[in-house]
Amino acid sequence: MARLKLDNAPRLPSPSYWRKLRGDIRKDWDLYIALLPGIAFLLLFKYTPMYGIVIAFQDFNIFSGIGDSPWVGFEHFERLFQSPKFAQVFWNTFMISVLKIVLLFPLPIVLAILLNELTKMWFKRPVQTIIYMPHFLSWVIVSGLFMDLLSVNGGLVNRIIEWMGGEPIKFFLDNSFFRWLLVSTAGWKEAGWGTIVYLAALSSIDPQLYEAAKIDGANKFKQILHITLPGLVPVILLMFILRLGSILEAGTEQILVMYNPVVYNVSDVIGTYVYRTGLGEQNYSFASAVGLFESVVGFVLIVGGNYISRRFLNRGIW
Amino acid sequence: MERQWITARRTRSAIRMSVGERIFHVFNYLFFALVSWTTLFPFLNLLAKSLSSEEAVMSGSVSLFPVDIQFGTYLYVLSDSQFMRAFLVSVTIALAGTALGLLMTALAAYPLSKPRLRGRKFFILMYVFTMLFSGGLIPTYLLMQRLNLVDTLWVLFLPSMISVFNMLIIKNYFESLPEELEESAKMDGASNLTILFRITVPLSLPVFATIALFYAVGFWNDYFASMIYINTSELKPLQLYLKELLVHSNITYQDGGHVTNVDAVMNTTPQAIQAASILVATLPILLVYPFLQKYFVKGVLIGSVKG
Repeated sequence: MARLKLDNAPRLPSPSYWRKLRGDIRKDWDLYIALLPGIAFLLLFKYTPMYGIVIAFQDFNIFSGIGDSPWVGFEHFERLFQSPKFAQVFWNTFMISVLKIVLLFPLPIVLAILLNELTKMWFKRPVQTIIYMPHFLSWVIVSGLFMDLLSVNGGLVNRIIEWMGGEPIKFFLDNSFFRWLLVSTAGWKEAGWGTIVYLAALSSIDPQLYEAAKIDGANKFKQILHITLPGLVPVILLMFILRLGSILEAGTEQILVMYNPVVYNVSDVIGTYVYRTGLGEQNYSFASAVGLFESVVGFVLIVGGNYISRRFLNRGIW
Repeated sequence: MERQWITARRTRSAIRMSVGERIFHVFNYLFFALVSWTTLFPFLNLLAKSLSSEEAVMSGSVSLFPVDIQFGTYLYVLSDSQFMRAFLVSVTIALAGTALGLLMTALAAYPLSKPRLRGRKFFILMYVFTMLFSGGLIPTYLLMQRLNLVDTLWVLFLPSMISVFNMLIIKNYFESLPEELEESAKMDGASNLTILFRITVPLSLPVFATIALFYAVGFWNDYFASMIYINTSELKPLQLYLKELLVHSNITYQDGGHVTNVDAVMNTTPQAIQAASILVATLPILLVYPFLQKYFVKGVLIGSVKG
């Protein structure tokens, strides 16, 4: 992504600029027309909701609309930050996200490095086909698969537990297991697909480096440590910054399918909370405030992460 | 000749590989066999359950192979009018959404792939910004309400016609095509849009196959939008239908008969039927995906590595 040049202070365009612009538009008129549907789409479906955020600072009433609803300033945010419920929801979001980052972020990197060592194509190709596949399944299907596997009535996992002399576990209704269930099913679904980006980066590492290392007597492990990993660092960094931006999006679509009132206290995250308070209880303004909090934190983290990365490592996503 | 070359290569690699490396390789192959097995197992288990009798499923005697084999569950699912209606809704959304999405995305990507376009950086920033920040669920919902799109099928694909991520992949792919093609077509008097649809798109089929798959899977798998916007049961797509089927009945199963949810009492679908429904709903993806794999690996690489 190109970086915007900001060193030129804004100047009023000279008349010749307009003439050139008009010439360009006349010459490439259909190119500019092709631009319009996309821009219209963005303005209507993406930027209008951004304007709609103002209801977080109003006492929004559906009949008065945005224009006539009374302004309340930061009242909803004050309520939000004092609410013990929100504190719990925030903590759940944070915990689930951190668990997912710590356990699942390194997984595709490891898998990709190991996958790269498979030399027999008749084995590697089918493995790739199989491990990419869960990415293409919906959360409804994935949770259906695991509900089935972990069920108390004839689920295979509980049968093994019973066979080994244990008590069956109600995984989906157990507060001490539910977060692990979220993390492991997310790993099952996305870890294989996540390798694609790293495999691409691996294929662009110069094979001569490995040849040279071999001549110098470096074994496989040393080659991975000194050539493969350093070669992956830019991509890892990029993926990490992107991942950081969604730290408060702990997997709403996943949780909405998998959770139930019994495990709300460990699994209710910002996204599910917004859904229930906003659309369920029609607390539009309050829920928008919660949503805005999530968006702003995500934005700050991704822009900040990128800034730090550019500043100290000279690399960034833009 | 070829044979000789192969044996030569073999002996060379055999000499080069130390004992430690050979052990590593063996474990690596075993590891990936295990990973693949873990990925496939839930499916095979589900397939076996869908083909077994309900008694066998409930008693827990089904793992990899069906017990008391029967096909009645599939007949039941395929003749269930609610299931089939939901299936048709999903097919409609996926087809309409993918077709419109590809058209809109290609149109958006093409001008942005031309460095000569005025304000190109601004327009790209306009797209990218929507990836970093969004209005959020509630303002979006209220907008759909204002546009009278709530409880219509339109709302399931119009707001997600252009995925910025996909647009950037296509844009990067277009940029990687040689410029000479455009120049020679320009000489022949072709307009930009003619060049796009006659030359650029046909040359970009791998990336379009990839993006088509992404859109189709996205529309097919979406349950969230329909859960928010759709109330009429005739308009519910397959994933939402399945979600209601699975979630309601599984709460009782998980609880081993202790009912925690009132809905659950009324909605207990036999497990074999649930299993068959899940498999039928997954089938379209499983049929299409392996054929497109060679394209999407290439397509994603070109798009994402440069982006």
